Amino acid sequence: MSTIIETPPQATGNKVILCEGNEAAALAVALARPDMVAVYPITPQSSLVEHVAKLIAEGRMDADIVDAEGEHSVLSALQGGALAGARTYTATCGPGLAFMFEPYFRTPGMRLPLVMTIVTRDGITPQSVWGGHQDAMTVREAGWIQIYCESVQEVLDTTVMAFKIAEHHDVMLPVNVCLDGNYLSYGASRVEMPDQAEVDEFLGDKNVNWHVALDPLRPMAVDPLTGGSGGKGPSSFVRYRRGQCRGMQNALRVITEAHEEWAQRFGRRFAPLVESYRMDDAEFALMTLGSMTGAAKDTVDEAREAGKKVGLVKIKTFSPFPVEALKQALSGIKALGVVDRAVDFRWNCGPMYRETLGVLYRLGRHLPTASFIGGLAGADLTLEHFHRVIDATEALLDGPAPDEPVWLNAND
Amino acid sequence: MGQAYSTIAFDPSACDGCGECMKACARVKFDSADVSRSLIQIVKSGDGADMRPGTPGEFELALCRQCGDPKCVTVCPAAALTKNGSTGVIDWDPAKCVDCLLCTLGCSYAGISLDAEVGRVSKCDTCDGNPACVPACPHGALRYVTTSRIYNEVGDWEDLFAPGLAGCQGCNTELLMRHALRRVGPDTVLATPPGCVPGMGSVGFNGTTGTKVPVFHPLLTNTASMLAGIKRQYKRVGRDITAMAIAGDGGASDVGFQSLSGAAERGEQILFLVIDNEGYMNTGMQRSSCTPFGAWTSTTPVGEHGQGKTQDAKNLPLIMVNHRCEYVATASTAFMEDLYDKLDKAIAASKRGFAYLHVYSPCTTGWRFPGDRNIEVARKAVETNFVLLWEYTQNRGLRFTRPVNDPAPVTEYLKTMARFKHLSEAQIDHIQRKVEENLRFVKRMAEMADAE
Repeated sequence: MSTIIETPPQATGNKVILCEGNEAAALAVALARPDMVAVYPITPQSSLVEHVAKLIAEGRMDADIVDAEGEHSVLSALQGGALAGARTYTATCGPGLAFMFEPYFRTPGMRLPLVMTIVTRDGITPQSVWGGHQDAMTVREAGWIQIYCESVQEVLDTTVMAFKIAEHHDVMLPVNVCLDGNYLSYGASRVEMPDQAEVDEFLGDKNVNWHVALDPLRPMAVDPLTGGSGGKGPSSFVRYRRGQCRGMQNALRVITEAHEEWAQRFGRRFAPLVESYRMDDAEFALMTLGSMTGAAKDTVDEAREAGKKVGLVKIKTFSPFPVEALKQALSGIKALGVVDRAVDFRWNCGPMYRETLGVLYRLGRHLPTASFIGGLAGADLTLEHFHRVIDATEALLDGPAPDEPVWLNAND
Repeated sequence: MGQAYSTIAFDPSACDGCGECMKACARVKFDSADVSRSLIQIVKSGDGADMRPGTPGEFELALCRQCGDPKCVTVCPAAALTKNGSTGVIDWDPAKCVDCLLCTLGCSYAGISLDAEVGRVSKCDTCDGNPACVPACPHGALRYVTTSRIYNEVGDWEDLFAPGLAGCQGCNTELLMRHALRRVGPDTVLATPPGCVPGMGSVGFNGTTGTKVPVFHPLLTNTASMLAGIKRQYKRVGRDITAMAIAGDGGASDVGFQSLSGAAERGEQILFLVIDNEGYMNTGMQRSSCTPFGAWTSTTPVGEHGQGKTQDAKNLPLIMVNHRCEYVATASTAFMEDLYDKLDKAIAASKRGFAYLHVYSPCTTGWRFPGDRNIEVARKAVETNFVLLWEYTQNRGLRFTRPVNDPAPVTEYLKTMARFKHLSEAQIDHIQRKVEENLRFVKRMAEMADAE
């Protein structure tokens, strides 16, 4: 378990510890005081749920733990718990996420504010147990809020915030906190622990089933049949779906407000939707997601030293896609290189690249953009890789954009 | 509504005149070994002179029937005999009796007679609802029938489904689910996974509901795990609710089996009732793993190359026994008394752990028989041992609740419906063999439990 590595800073009196991303997520969950967690192990998520189980066993977390027989039941048990009023949490990845897809798709439809970490892992097959964004990217149309973290500290802080975002009455949607398998799950770093009482105040009282409940004191049919072409069916279905879409759009505001309040209470400020790094006078930019951003920022710094006017745009909130925030971030540049750790099979590019194409349309002007794919199945994305991205993106300023994606680890 | 009462029933086809019931009565009532004092008398048909044990079918019962229109009461000049409104027993008051013996002439059943030992009349009082003669019978010829409880109690319980559920004509499932939910009561969260039960409208359409308790469609795959989450949260906050599923055999035995097995293994406190109509009947009568060998279904059709299902049914309740559930039982819609007894036990068990109740419910539409024959078909299934009625608890093991010692050949059951009408002799032989094999297997489990 974690070790305390610094005496508490005078200002906050809070502990500073050294821990891995998986443990940081578990500690954040303990701070959020869920009623119920359900667990099923899968690499590279396993140590996360082991930490959760240990926290409960040691009495440091008062939650009911469901040791389910698979991810499908993990999510199903939590749905039941939420409908009975429980604050709920789990974590999974890769094949586990694929296995739970049936209840996964249903969770936002029932407007259940679950929080689930995806310790991102590449999709099989080819067989692999290492990190990549293919799992989370593949389910991005299922209606969950998906937020990606860059650092272990951000994992901890965002996991706590996720409960507030999910349970906000204007949102009422489940949240995936995505932390990169291997790089963040097992990467140890310095983490400041928030104060429990302050977190309690930040999260407030839970009320997760005010809108839909399975409670003999408030008997109702949950999710009766709707749709079809007769009677109230079509309009009723539309009302549910449109409400779900509205909740997603409301989440953009609520995520921003939660990050702002977090910054004020805890002194750590993270860009809620899109982070602009050295973008003020940038001529061109890279776009990143998750833990690769650290190496990318270092590379941008080096390129700046060498006189290149490059900046970086990092997406934190991937679903709902932050269209307006991205429009603003990209407004001043003339070329863009988008780096993905997953593929979009249909468009032969990275999924974040494809999503960004839609934003470019709304920019109302032509912005040459290239797709870079790297970091698949645990492959490293180093400064050398990002220098290549920078050079190739800079070349877009005076040359044609490539039709094909650039596969960064193809010759590693 | 009037009151119904429990009664002692006699099956002459099972009685060989051994007299154990009389011995028990004489012992319990009079501390006597003299069977002539017994209030129950088994007499040989005909002249009644020869009382040696003999062949079943030769014996008759002389016992107070606790009549609804008792002649003994009518003829009594002293008001010493009265019909007890709450127990149904004809009470005899020795303080009022003038020993005129008119009652013994009034009764057609020899149910009240002179006890020569004391010089006064005596009659059966059902031992206050626990008649000593019944358990004493080694042949199951005597039963204490408490079905009246269903009539008396259920009538007062609220029907928690809305009227007008859209079941097929003659469907026993509607009967079953209405009875079951009435018994479980309003402090229930009900899961009805996709199938006939929600198909009838129990969860409702477009914002309406067919059920008066909280009800939901789980996925076909996750009924047990969703219920587990619900039950756990109420337990956490100190509220006692019953988490109940009314599921079909397909969702339980096929695609939902993993979550069912997981929840049972974890001992989740759930009442899981499976209505086994041996296929996916709501979606058009497709085969499930509970469909029996040889049966026509829409995915095991009959034609030049197809002769119905080619595999035997999965025995889901036995699989649940091997999860060491708190309670497992099979039941039939033709035997409501047995079903109610098991429901009571299952409800109680679901407060301690996983309770599983598997109810065989014939499907008029999918099995293809007329809508007015449902109970008859269900009864035939039991009488041929095609369906075995038993219960299991961790402490007691498995025991038969309605053993059928002289089963009819399975053809008696198969011929009641059209889904089996194409069967060849070889297929029928296979089914008969499997019925016997299954009986032997379950019997061994029951014998093992008895031995322990």
